[in-house]
Amino acid sequence: MSDVEPSAAQLRSRRASAARWLARVSLAPYTGVIVGLVIVCVFLTATQPVFLTWANFRSVIGANTVILILAVGETFVIISGGIDLSTASATTATGMVLGLALEHGWSLVPALLVTLTFGLVIGLANGLLITKVKISFLVVTLGALSIWQSFALIVDSGGSIAVFGVSAFTPIGDLVNNGIGPISLLMIFDVLLVLLAGGILRVTTFGRAVFAVGSNDEAARLNGVNVSGVLIGVYALAGLAAGVAAVISVGRLTAAASQSDPNLLLEVLAAVLIGGTSFSGGEGGIFGTVVGVLFLGAVQNGLILSSVSAFWQGTVSGIILILAVGLSALRNRGWKLRRGAPAVRTL
Amino acid sequence: MVDALKDEAGGAAVVVLRGISKAFPGVLALDRVDLTVHAGEVHALTGENGSGKSTLARVINGSVQPDAGTIAIDGEERRIADPVAALKIGIVTITQELTLAPSLSVAENIFLGRLPRDRFRRVDWRTLRRQAREVLDRLDVHVDERRRVGELSVEGQQEVEIARAVSSGGRVLILDEATSALSGAATQRVLEIVEQQRASGVAVLMISHRLPEIYSAASRATVLRDGRLIDTVPLPETPEDQLVARMVGRALGDYYRKRHIELGPVVLDVFELASMDGRLRPTSLQVRRGEILGVAGLVGSGKAELGLALGGAIPCSGTVAVSGEPVAMGDPRSTLAGGIGFVPDDRKGSALLPTRSVSQNFSIAWSSMIARYGVIRIREELRAVNEAIERYGVVTASPSSRITTLSGGNQQKVVVGRIFALGVKVLVLSEPTRGIAVGAKSEIYRLMQDAADEGAGVIFISSELPELIGLADRLLVFFRGQVRGEFRRDELQEELIAQVALTGASPGQHTHKPIGEVG
Repeated sequence: MSDVEPSAAQLRSRRASAARWLARVSLAPYTGVIVGLVIVCVFLTATQPVFLTWANFRSVIGANTVILILAVGETFVIISGGIDLSTASATTATGMVLGLALEHGWSLVPALLVTLTFGLVIGLANGLLITKVKISFLVVTLGALSIWQSFALIVDSGGSIAVFGVSAFTPIGDLVNNGIGPISLLMIFDVLLVLLAGGILRVTTFGRAVFAVGSNDEAARLNGVNVSGVLIGVYALAGLAAGVAAVISVGRLTAAASQSDPNLLLEVLAAVLIGGTSFSGGEGGIFGTVVGVLFLGAVQNGLILSSVSAFWQGTVSGIILILAVGLSALRNRGWKLRRGAPAVRTL
Repeated sequence: MVDALKDEAGGAAVVVLRGISKAFPGVLALDRVDLTVHAGEVHALTGENGSGKSTLARVINGSVQPDAGTIAIDGEERRIADPVAALKIGIVTITQELTLAPSLSVAENIFLGRLPRDRFRRVDWRTLRRQAREVLDRLDVHVDERRRVGELSVEGQQEVEIARAVSSGGRVLILDEATSALSGAATQRVLEIVEQQRASGVAVLMISHRLPEIYSAASRATVLRDGRLIDTVPLPETPEDQLVARMVGRALGDYYRKRHIELGPVVLDVFELASMDGRLRPTSLQVRRGEILGVAGLVGSGKAELGLALGGAIPCSGTVAVSGEPVAMGDPRSTLAGGIGFVPDDRKGSALLPTRSVSQNFSIAWSSMIARYGVIRIREELRAVNEAIERYGVVTASPSSRITTLSGGNQQKVVVGRIFALGVKVLVLSEPTRGIAVGAKSEIYRLMQDAADEGAGVIFISSELPELIGLADRLLVFFRGQVRGEFRRDELQEELIAQVALTGASPGQHTHKPIGEVG
């Protein structure tokens, strides 16, 4: 650090600012996942010729739209400092409601309205129990998980409801399967959903309040945030997301299934957490969640293309979840260690 | 100067630091600092926030490794690898952060990690209780050793923390801002224990920027500024203003800079306000425009609850009117809408959004100013935040920096500034200068007077009498939930105020009667 030529000093300062930039980028919560996503994609492109085709991309998007919708709703809940464990079984229950409505010859619009309202009510019930009765969100949503799964089995005595051929179902099937040229309607739907949810989270007072409540609810309250209202809002959004996801799910299966996919809840939570939204609340975002969904989707797709048994999917998702969240914890700790360690004098 | 003092200090030099330097990225936290602490002395280490005093303490207890310099303990040069190694050689640190297990008893906490065992390796509860009682009695701490720590007040917990620390038989006791969460009587208790330890030959290093504490406990003070050793001075011979001048690097002739502000009509009218938990008993008061009403009292006197009640933070009864308009209490949204701004005393617990940026910590209170139909106008937000950063003198790398990267004083400027910027008619500040540096304090004093100047009524609740005396136009003293004394500015005297705060009354005195002539 003694006498140095100006050019070397300049070089060093340039290197230092590059290092700072790199540090900032590498510290962004979802950077690791993007890197992972790129590695997985490069690997699959090299080994599976089908992977990098538009048709495959379109099918990945189709297969992951339900997860994306639920994960978007869940992102709001987790940022607010809570968690909604009932999201997958709420989807199943609302799907059964849609199935019943279609089976009984309801036309499309009332059937959809009832379905979305039902999802919204499930979320509102969660939110009211958590804020007004002041029961822990874990207890409420765990109870709801069990109740709505059971509800889905009760309504048709455990049977699933096939809706293929029901006339009111046709537009739903079209939404799920059709497209404009090479672009599927689901892609458009997903992009709109992400833009809308991201916008709500970033530039509305509600979105800001969600972050504030997750960061420090008492501080939020003292600064005029309606904390109960915000919490009811996020659970209601998660419920509404379950309703929307149910429509897509019924559309894809051409039936309302009475059993939830046992991996669905894990995948939703994994996508949100992998995407850098913090379990302790107050941090995160929709973009990270999108990256999380794509990452899990690409890996699953890779397993299918490589003809690995579907039984392995849960194992892989679980490992990725632990690795991603674990690595981010390590990275945070590493950052602190570096700051505490003997450092070069920088002033 | 240091050498000259050695003899006066008496005991042997226990801790000797020579040329300690420590750099963190972007800052040189310590620059060739020397420090000697003797057995049987209380040595104060003081300076503004960011002066490096806490870093120096952490060098001694092994939490931070110095880049250069030597540490000698009892004349033997040592490398202290971590806090556990420090404990082994008898260096005990107490910070304001409590490290107790709330679900365990007081006795278990005191002997945590070294519980007495019987011959079957089972915990010997009877011995544990007896030894704990001995420790507590020796320190004159009146806490039941069987109670769960979680049930104790913060003060009680801090006493247990200290009991645990001193009972481990350390030769060096470091108090790192250990009393900053306490006030009044509790601090006094801690200082008594410190004095007891000193008398028994322990070397005490007390890190603090609370001058009254330093003066009452320490025989020497070392002042750091920007990581450099400025001076080591004898106490109490060195006058307070000289010590402060060394801390801030300039003379602070009129530290509070009390301005003359014309008082306007009554802006806040409080009638029989009482908190539901009974800590604030029915209290009536009025504040005029431009007036700074000081509120003093011990912890538990109800002064904190007065702030919480006015801020809508706790349920309460009674009526409150701002400029004649009644305000619904019990909900911060309605008190804010009614024109009462409140800055709570617990910055970390109820004011900061630790995971958010400086910008969002400001704008969380500003939805009405910067949003339309629930959508935030980002450009308007950025403009308002930049203006606030400038106006309130917040030192931050950028508006998007995390709030937790700021110093305590700068965090507090954000917390005060965001309420201030709302243009409230009544500003209620509870302990606004707690735990912040001298320079930041004077900024807060300036902001408070700016608010009064712009026509707000200010209620200034504090545990530190000097700042109340320096700034208040009128002062109320709380005792057991009620106002027991009222002083005009020309009657403000520390002894008289303390008397009311401690005993509740001077003979024949009642609420709203000046008691200045009693003494």
